[in-house]
Amino acid sequence: MSIATPLTALLGIKHPVLLAPMDTLAGARLVRAVSDAGGFGILGGGYGDRTRLETETAKLKDFSGPFGIGFITWSMAKQPELLDVALAAKPRAIMLSFGDPAPFAPRIKQAGARLICQVQSEDMAKQALDAGADILIAQGTEAGGHGASRTTLDIVPAVIDLAAGRVPVVAAGGIADGRGLAAMMMLGASGVLMGTRFYASVEADGADEAKRRICAANSGDTVRGVIPDWSRNIFWPAPFTGRTLINDHVRRWTGREVELMQNVGGVSAEYFAARAAGNFDVAVIFAGEAVGLIHDVPPAAEIVERIVTEAEQLLLGRRNFVAAA
Amino acid sequence: MWPDRRLLDLFKLEFPIVLAPMAGAMDAELVIAAAQGGALGSLPCAMLTAEKAREQVNIIRQRVSAPVNMNFFCHKPVDADPKREAGWKQRLGAYYKEFGLDPSAPINAANRAPFDAAFCEVVEELKPEVVSFHFGLPSPDLVKRVKAAGCIVMSSATTVKEAIWLEENGADVIIAQGAEAGGHRGMFLTENIAEQPGTFALVPQVVDAVKVPVIAAGGIADGRGIAAAFALGASGVQIGTAYLRCPESKVIAPVRAALAQATDESTVITNVMTGRPARGVANRTMREVGPISPDAPAFPHAATALGPLRAAAEKLGRVDFTNLWAGQAVRMGREMPAAELTRALAGGALARMSQMAH
Repeated sequence: MSIATPLTALLGIKHPVLLAPMDTLAGARLVRAVSDAGGFGILGGGYGDRTRLETETAKLKDFSGPFGIGFITWSMAKQPELLDVALAAKPRAIMLSFGDPAPFAPRIKQAGARLICQVQSEDMAKQALDAGADILIAQGTEAGGHGASRTTLDIVPAVIDLAAGRVPVVAAGGIADGRGLAAMMMLGASGVLMGTRFYASVEADGADEAKRRICAANSGDTVRGVIPDWSRNIFWPAPFTGRTLINDHVRRWTGREVELMQNVGGVSAEYFAARAAGNFDVAVIFAGEAVGLIHDVPPAAEIVERIVTEAEQLLLGRRNFVAAA
Repeated sequence: MWPDRRLLDLFKLEFPIVLAPMAGAMDAELVIAAAQGGALGSLPCAMLTAEKAREQVNIIRQRVSAPVNMNFFCHKPVDADPKREAGWKQRLGAYYKEFGLDPSAPINAANRAPFDAAFCEVVEELKPEVVSFHFGLPSPDLVKRVKAAGCIVMSSATTVKEAIWLEENGADVIIAQGAEAGGHRGMFLTENIAEQPGTFALVPQVVDAVKVPVIAAGGIADGRGIAAAFALGASGVQIGTAYLRCPESKVIAPVRAALAQATDESTVITNVMTGRPARGVANRTMREVGPISPDAPAFPHAATALGPLRAAAEKLGRVDFTNLWAGQAVRMGREMPAAELTRALAGGALARMSQMAH
C-alpha cells in the first residue's frame, strides 16, 4: 500500500510521512527507522550542537536510504559552518524552521539537496518561496515544540492556496494517526510531518519516563508558552513559543513569567539539576495537542505502517470513517 | 456519498451541515435560506424573549418544510455587581466623553437570558426537531422535558472532558468546537483559554471518547474543510462565519465591510465585549481595552456599558464597540445566498472525497 503525492515523488519516498527534526530526540536511529519504513526521517540539528551533529551524521554514513537534516534557522545562523557539516553527510533535503532561509538556500541547492521550509504564516511562506523552497511545511499551533498561533485547519489551506501547486505543501500540528493524514490530504496537503507521535516510539532518543507521560496525557494537557525555554536560558524570537506537556514547573510559573525572567539564574540552576535527575515534573516534555491520540510506544516502522494503512482505507472509502466503537 | 450518514439519518437532512446559531447576526431569514439549501438551520434564541422565539419559529415553519434547531445559552446567571459595573464604566469613561454620552444616564441591561422554564414551555409547544445549547446543558429536569418533547439535544464541547460530561448528561449529539470557531467559546468546565485545542486535534479525540455522533465546528468554511472533518471521524460540520455575509443575515453594512476586509490573522479571543471568551475580528474596544481584561464584568454584564457606545458609533458607521464575531476562516466568507452557499459547500466536499478515492 502507498499513497503517492507530489511530495513522495520529489523526495523519492514511498509514504508521505515525515519525521519532525526534534532536537535531541530525532537522532540517527529514529531517522533510519522512519526512512526504512518508507517515510522520510529528518535528523534534529536543533540549536546547533556540533559534536552531536557530527556523531549522529556519522551514524548515517553507511545508510543508503533517503533522509534529511533539520535546523532551527535563527540558532544555526550563529554558527553557519554547521550547515557544511550537515551537507557533508549528503542528506536528500535540509529543513529550515523559524527564521529567514534566504542566506542558506544557495549553499543547500548547490550541494544538490532539496530545501524544506517550515512556515507559520502566509508572509513566511512567501519568504520561503522567494528563497527557493522546494517543499513548504505549514505548521499549526497544535504542534508540539516550537511554533506560532495559527491553527492547522487555518494555516494549511492558506499556504496551499498561496503555493498554488508550485511546491508540495506538508501539514504539521495535531496529526498522530491515519485520520489526520487523510484529513490533511482532503485539505490538499501532500503529506504530513509528525513529531509527538514519533517521540513515543522505540527509536526516539527520549527518556522512557517522558514517553510514558506522553502516552498517559490527555487532550488539554498541553500548553504553548515560554516558561520551559526561559527556564533553560533559551530565548526565542517572536512570534515563536513552545508547546509542552503541563507539568508542576509550568503550573508553578504560569502567570508569573516576569518574575521568572527576573530570577532566571536561580530557576535555571534548579531546572538543569532536575533535568539531569530525569525529573519531568520540572524538565520539559515537548508535545502537541494530538497527545491524547497517543497510547503506546511502538517501533517507528509500525507507526508509519498504521498511519498509512488507516489513511488509505479512509481515502478509498474501504472503511467507514467512524472509528470502531 | 457521505461516508457517515448518522447525522443525516438522525436529523433527516439532505446535507450534514448545521448553520451555526449566531445571536445578534441573524434571524429566521438565514435559517430558512440555509434550510432550503439542505442544511439544518439554527435559530439563536439567546437574545430573544420566549414570545419572540415563538414568532420566529412560526415564520420558519410557514416558509420551509425542514427540521429546525432552536439554540439557547445555559450559563448560570450572575447578578450584576454594582462595584464592578462602576469600575467598568469608568474604564470606558474616555469613550463616553469622546462620543458625548452621559455616563450617568440609565442603560438597558444586556439581554442574554439562559434557558429556563418559560423557554422550555415554548420548546414543548413548538417541538423543534433539534434543541442545541451553549455553555453546557440546563438543569436535568429541563433536559428531560426537552427530550420528552421529542427534541434531539445537542451541545458544544471545547475539550474531551466536556464532551464526556455532555454525553453522560444526556446530549444526543456533540459539537466539538475547536479554538478556530467564531463567537462565544462553549467552554463550561474550564476557564483556561490557553488550553483550548484546535478543531483538528479536538475532533478525533472527542470521536474516540464518546459514542454519540460528533459535529466538527471551528475553521471550516469550504468543501475541503468539510471533507477533512469527515476524515477525522466527524458525522457533520457546523458552519457560521462562512454564512455571515450572505444577503439573508442581519449583519449591518459596516460590519459586513469589516468582515470582508478581515484576514486570517484578524481574529482574536476576547472577554471585553460580553465578559465571556469569544472570537471575533479585533475592533477598537478589543484592541484598546483587551483583548482580555480582568476588569470586564461577568457575562453578559460587560456588554451593558458598551451598549450606548455601540449605538452611538454605529450611527456614524463605525464598529468600534460592535461585536464582530467571526472565526479564523473569516477570509473564506462569501457573499452568496445561503441556500446556494450550502449546496456549494456540500458539493465541494463530495467532489473532494470522490476525487481522493481515485
